Amino acid sequence: MAGPLCFPRAQAPAPESRSVWDGVYTEEQAKRGELIYKKECGACHGNLLTGGESAPPLTGGAFLANWNGLTMGDLFDRIRKTMPESAPGRLTRQQDADILAFMLSINRFPAGKTELYKQSEMLKEIRFESAKPSPKK
Amino acid sequence: MREKNSTGLQALLFLLFAGLLFLSIPASAQFHPKNTEWPSYAADLAGTRYRALDQINAANFSDLEIAWRIKTDNFGDRPEYKLEGTPLMVNGTLYATAGSRRAVIALDPATGELLWIHGEHEGKRGGAAPRQLSGRGLAYWSDGQEERVLYVTPGFRLICLDAKTGVRIPSFGNNGEVDLKLNDDQDILPDLITGEIGIQSAPVVAKDTVIIGAAFREGMTPRSMRNNKGYVRGFDVRTGKRLWIFHTIPKKGEFGYDTWEKGSAEYTGNTGVWTQITVDEQLGLVYLPVETPTSDFYGGHRPGNNLFGESLVCVDLKTGERKWHFQLVHHPLWDMDISSAPILADITVDGRPIKAVAQPTKQGFLYVFDRVTGKPVWPMPERPVEVGNVPGETYSATQPIPTKPQAYSRNGVFIDDLIDFTPALRDRAKEIASKYHLGPVYTPPTASKLDGTLGTLTMGTASGGTNWPGGSYDPETHNVYVYACNSCIEPIGLVAAPKEVSDIAYIAGTAGREVEILKGPGENAGADSPKPPKKPAGGGFSRMDVDGLMLVKPPYGTITAINLDKGEFVWQIAHGETPDVVRNHPDLKGLNIPRTGQTTYNIGTLVTKTLVIAGEGNVTTTADHPRGAMLRAYDKMTGKEVGAVYMPAPQTGSPMTYMLNGKQYIVVAVSGGPYSGEYIAYTLPSAGE
Repeated sequence: MAGPLCFPRAQAPAPESRSVWDGVYTEEQAKRGELIYKKECGACHGNLLTGGESAPPLTGGAFLANWNGLTMGDLFDRIRKTMPESAPGRLTRQQDADILAFMLSINRFPAGKTELYKQSEMLKEIRFESAKPSPKK
Repeated sequence: MREKNSTGLQALLFLLFAGLLFLSIPASAQFHPKNTEWPSYAADLAGTRYRALDQINAANFSDLEIAWRIKTDNFGDRPEYKLEGTPLMVNGTLYATAGSRRAVIALDPATGELLWIHGEHEGKRGGAAPRQLSGRGLAYWSDGQEERVLYVTPGFRLICLDAKTGVRIPSFGNNGEVDLKLNDDQDILPDLITGEIGIQSAPVVAKDTVIIGAAFREGMTPRSMRNNKGYVRGFDVRTGKRLWIFHTIPKKGEFGYDTWEKGSAEYTGNTGVWTQITVDEQLGLVYLPVETPTSDFYGGHRPGNNLFGESLVCVDLKTGERKWHFQLVHHPLWDMDISSAPILADITVDGRPIKAVAQPTKQGFLYVFDRVTGKPVWPMPERPVEVGNVPGETYSATQPIPTKPQAYSRNGVFIDDLIDFTPALRDRAKEIASKYHLGPVYTPPTASKLDGTLGTLTMGTASGGTNWPGGSYDPETHNVYVYACNSCIEPIGLVAAPKEVSDIAYIAGTAGREVEILKGPGENAGADSPKPPKKPAGGGFSRMDVDGLMLVKPPYGTITAINLDKGEFVWQIAHGETPDVVRNHPDLKGLNIPRTGQTTYNIGTLVTKTLVIAGEGNVTTTADHPRGAMLRAYDKMTGKEVGAVYMPAPQTGSPMTYMLNGKQYIVVAVSGGPYSGEYIAYTLPSAGE
């Protein structure tokens, strides 16, 4: 009876998925991203990401609510497809990832030791959660 | 240099569907659309967003189902995620702007079937446009025989189309187009391709005159105090000929020129009318809501009151001559553009009939004037306001403050406004706020300092209050219904602008995060290069929330019904589901928090015979619905919610309604986040379903 129900002992536990609260970018990357952001994005979205009439805020209630529950891959793809508005796709994947790192830093998500990925598929494994999760017990 | 353009997208489908479109139109000198149609952006030229329809009502709103939907992804070379249009429905056809090319589409209003499409390929001129994407809509005109639709391309060309076919009207302008960068009493600099000027609002047509304003890039950190100016023009709808122009920054010798000291009228720009224009055809008067002059938050290069910046200006429909004006904000420093359509209302105050115009604003005041004379219906005395100390700035010591109605949204930030769900959260909010200067409306921006305040916490400046969707007006109850963001906080600090960045002395910024110039690879990085000055640590910017919770107390967004006969609130409600972050926040477990509404600044309302209808601007996931947003209906007399239907993404364009073949429809634009633009039409199930 027991045989078919047993799991192989050697099987590794599935790695836990990560969220933006798990240090998914570095401070250095965010600094690079800030320079690019100010040149490419700030005129419309504001240097503090607070938006304007023609460009939505990239921080605060509406931004956090509308991306909550999605992934960094979704956000990355959106930037890749549509920004900068005058020439979408002009920036490299690395530049877009750096900008995203800056956005995370302004939104006070913690920095970590590894840089944010620049591949959509990998970024889709990072959940965007607006609220800080409760400490694990 | 003229730019090559083509109409490559247009009209193939027309050949297939033209037969459906040649509907009989009664021949008459003047065309009068039915009151069950939606013939202009705001339903009518009075800016009411009102239709007295009642098939969709409190008893059945939640039964609404999708009649048709159309994604706008293919109306341009890339998808659009910010669809802000409100379609028109007139004479059996629905018209809208759509997609990243700002194409014009004609649809069957019962089925959503595409009848024709028109697009303009503008090349670099389109790519350089300050206001891109699909815009907010178009205008319809008919003399009872001919039907035309008009819109402005991202590259700032007025295009006139045959409403039946989508083909340009050759006799209008230059083969169906008027280049709006020309014949504007100024040279658009630096050239016609990249010269900064455009518009995203819908044109207005009144008595055969098309009226067009102008918009520019965001003005927080402009490169120069000099810019193109946003004049308003009227054109003949039959020929495209310019009929008049109104100089929103007066030319030398014109009224108001002396409100620009030190010759600043000569070089200051912007001051356009980028939002919807309202017209009283009977009185022959046009109401122009004017934006701020160049540099949103610093006016040291334009001393004086700066007419007609942030003024409501009434001009003659035939000549464009100024009849009256009222400057809402003297020497503007807060980006309080008048951001939405003025609303015309025939009201009775203390037994006296008044033809009024009511202006919703970012600052949450509803300014109400006699629209013939410009006299305030209720007093708006000049009150002292704080004078700041940013070097070189000149301040107005007073601003006009309406005594009635009371402000319908927060327009300043005080400690008492900070969240108080729990003492711990409040303490953290106070800590964030302690880095900023607080105060009532018209508290001026401060120079950002690490050892002082980082800036002024403002509400109702760049966002907040009512923005471009504006309000609605019900001629039955004499109520204005208006959405306001009650939590859109904007920290405004100023930093000295490096000369390489701007010739303006101060631009928006935060100490510790000064505007920097990108350096080339290796520049200043070798041995013996001068070391960069050390920056103080810890400067910069504080997120305006605590663990995702807004810094200020709810309600985060409201709809207010304001009776214009009395100048008083009838009701005020929080609009929108409580955000997930509040409902699911571990620190708030066990607390009974009433619906908070949502933080967003672009919600438009629709008013019908019995309902006020508006969608949500934020996504939520609740026990009642999957990830998405709701289109909600309220009893217009009480504000009580009477129904809601699901939308897959937030409302980003204001809803409209019409009747066709005995059925009422509601159409709304949704988009945002990863959801590309889509128009969705709702209607009731057919009998028997």
